[in-house]
Amino acid sequence: MEHQITRHDTATVVALRGDVDLESSPRARKILLDALDTAPALLVDMSGVSYIDSSGIASLVESFQTGRANGKRFVLVAVSEPALRVLQLARLDRVFDIHGSVDDALAAD
Amino acid sequence: MGSSAATDIDGSGGGMEFTDPLELLAVVSRDFASSLDLDVAMARGLTRIVHNLGAEAGSLFLVEPDGRRLACRACVGPVDIAGLYLEPGQGIVGQCVEHNAGEIVRNVEGDPRFHRAVDQETGFKTLSVICAPMTVQDAPIGAVQVLNKRVGGLFGFQDLNTLKVLAHSMGLAIRNARLAAQVVEQERMRRELELASEIQRSLLPKPGPAGSPVIGLNVPAREVSGDFFDYFPFDDGRIYFCLGDVSGKGMDAALLMAKASSLFRALGKTLREPGRLLGRLNAEICETASGGRFITMVIGIYDPRSGVVRMANAGHEPPLLFHRDGSMVDLPATAPPIGIARGVVPGDLFPEQEFGLDGGTLYVFTDGVTEGRMPDGSMLDIKGVTRILGRTAQVPTLALLETVRDMLCRDGAELRDDLTLLAVDDSGPRAARGDRLAVLPQRQDGTPPGEPLLSLRLPALPARLKLIRAAIGEAARSCGCSPKVVHDVVMAVDEACQNVIRHAYPDGAAGDVGVAAFGDGSKLIFDVRDYSPVPVDIAKIQPRDLDDLRPGGLGTHLIREVMDEVAFLQPARGAGNLLRMTKMLG
Repeated sequence: MEHQITRHDTATVVALRGDVDLESSPRARKILLDALDTAPALLVDMSGVSYIDSSGIASLVESFQTGRANGKRFVLVAVSEPALRVLQLARLDRVFDIHGSVDDALAAD
Repeated sequence: MGSSAATDIDGSGGGMEFTDPLELLAVVSRDFASSLDLDVAMARGLTRIVHNLGAEAGSLFLVEPDGRRLACRACVGPVDIAGLYLEPGQGIVGQCVEHNAGEIVRNVEGDPRFHRAVDQETGFKTLSVICAPMTVQDAPIGAVQVLNKRVGGLFGFQDLNTLKVLAHSMGLAIRNARLAAQVVEQERMRRELELASEIQRSLLPKPGPAGSPVIGLNVPAREVSGDFFDYFPFDDGRIYFCLGDVSGKGMDAALLMAKASSLFRALGKTLREPGRLLGRLNAEICETASGGRFITMVIGIYDPRSGVVRMANAGHEPPLLFHRDGSMVDLPATAPPIGIARGVVPGDLFPEQEFGLDGGTLYVFTDGVTEGRMPDGSMLDIKGVTRILGRTAQVPTLALLETVRDMLCRDGAELRDDLTLLAVDDSGPRAARGDRLAVLPQRQDGTPPGEPLLSLRLPALPARLKLIRAAIGEAARSCGCSPKVVHDVVMAVDEACQNVIRHAYPDGAAGDVGVAAFGDGSKLIFDVRDYSPVPVDIAKIQPRDLDDLRPGGLGTHLIREVMDEVAFLQPARGAGNLLRMTKMLG
């Protein structure tokens, strides 16, 4: 799994790429929580996620809960087909705030 | 009557002198009443009598417990004959006891009844004798004899009459002292029995928290019981239970019960196979003689995570299994009781049966229940038991057990036999399991469920998951699956492997994960297994309610979402847990 962080005025975008699985999800968790710590809002760009498992979903859930507890926006952006499939199976597609693109998400604030 | 100034010859009379027989009687009676030691009281009484009658010597004989011989239990005078035995009717004392009549012999030389051996042996010269029996309610207690009057020549009838009164009084006192000792002994035995009963009750398991699936009840017919039951949980949540009935009643049956139940606890901790444990118990009990006693016994392991019971029955009354729908089956023993002989079953392995309770309740009980008497005197028998327990779906299990008990234990009515019942109630655990995971771990029969597509065995590490996903993806694509189905089965196998990585082995312990895929045209079958000797803890991988956002359990939910069938099996070979997932194609 690779990642890239882009800071905007109103939000930080973390782009995850590759497989978010049991091996990499502890890293993903730390990246997301660290970014959330300093950013006014967090957007997770998931367009490059080729695979995500339950542990990766768990990292997203934890970040979502932390953001909500601190009054920070947590948004999933451009979710790839495999990742969306898992979110749907987990019935989380209705829990997360999901947007088609980073621009949409920033504009929707 | 001795009228001379008597001296205190035993040092205990405090210098008192007696001339009045009534006063002497009062003192002797008081001695007996105040003494805790019968021998001391007898010696003191005899001393006073000898002293007061002005005699040289005296002896007190008691009838032995055999009811025939007489033994000298106290004596006063120059010669100690304590411990001397007389045969029935022997000597003047023997005659006195035999005829229950006082004797006076003023010319010993000419009396054929006189037992000369003592004089010859001791050098004592007996001149004249009076002897009076001690009898209470026609039962001979013994006799008191007094020898040689010091003053005034020979004994007279007045001396004999005085002795008779004193002897009678001593007889009563001795009898009373013996009865008192008996009461003390009975009280001691009662306390010992109470203690034994208490110890035995402590061998029964403490009732678990409310809603525990395994509960039991024991009512001994006497203070101690030959019945027992016990249960305890393993770390993995499974519960070992047993119920046994030692043949016969009383203390020796209770002791054998204590041995068997202790062995169950001690050996059961490590021997987690009911049939094998019964074999070991049989060997242990047979090793020491059990006096013709034997034990009928049921041992089982209940798994609340699956509702499955694995049970072995050694000659015990058939347990009853009541299903959720009210139907009932009995489970008769297929092996003899334990404690009779070794080798009664091949390889000391008692046959086991395995069945799912599926929300039903298993009842194990002793014949004290089926043979117990109802208020009208008729036997409760198996029909009555079935009638009561048949309400298992409507009435809480503990209430049913208590109904059986109350039916058979009425106020004041004595139980004929110990009463013991044990219930394994799967209704609570099944409600917790729900319908989602009807897990009956069966042994995989070893024949591949389809054409083998791949088989891998790798260290159970997160870093190996990528390889497993690639291999499973390739196998699914080769069977013509759509990208979505490929993704789903890859994800399911990946999640199953994660469960092995996370839960199969203790922290830090290395172990493998095995993955196999099979195809038969209409479906794909994936086996994921561990090689752990510890049975899978299904509770840890239970799917969670999705409103609960905690991550655990999500993997299992994902598996069940995308797969058409999911089953836990025992691998065909070796220890371990196997998860078989089936995906229908087309």
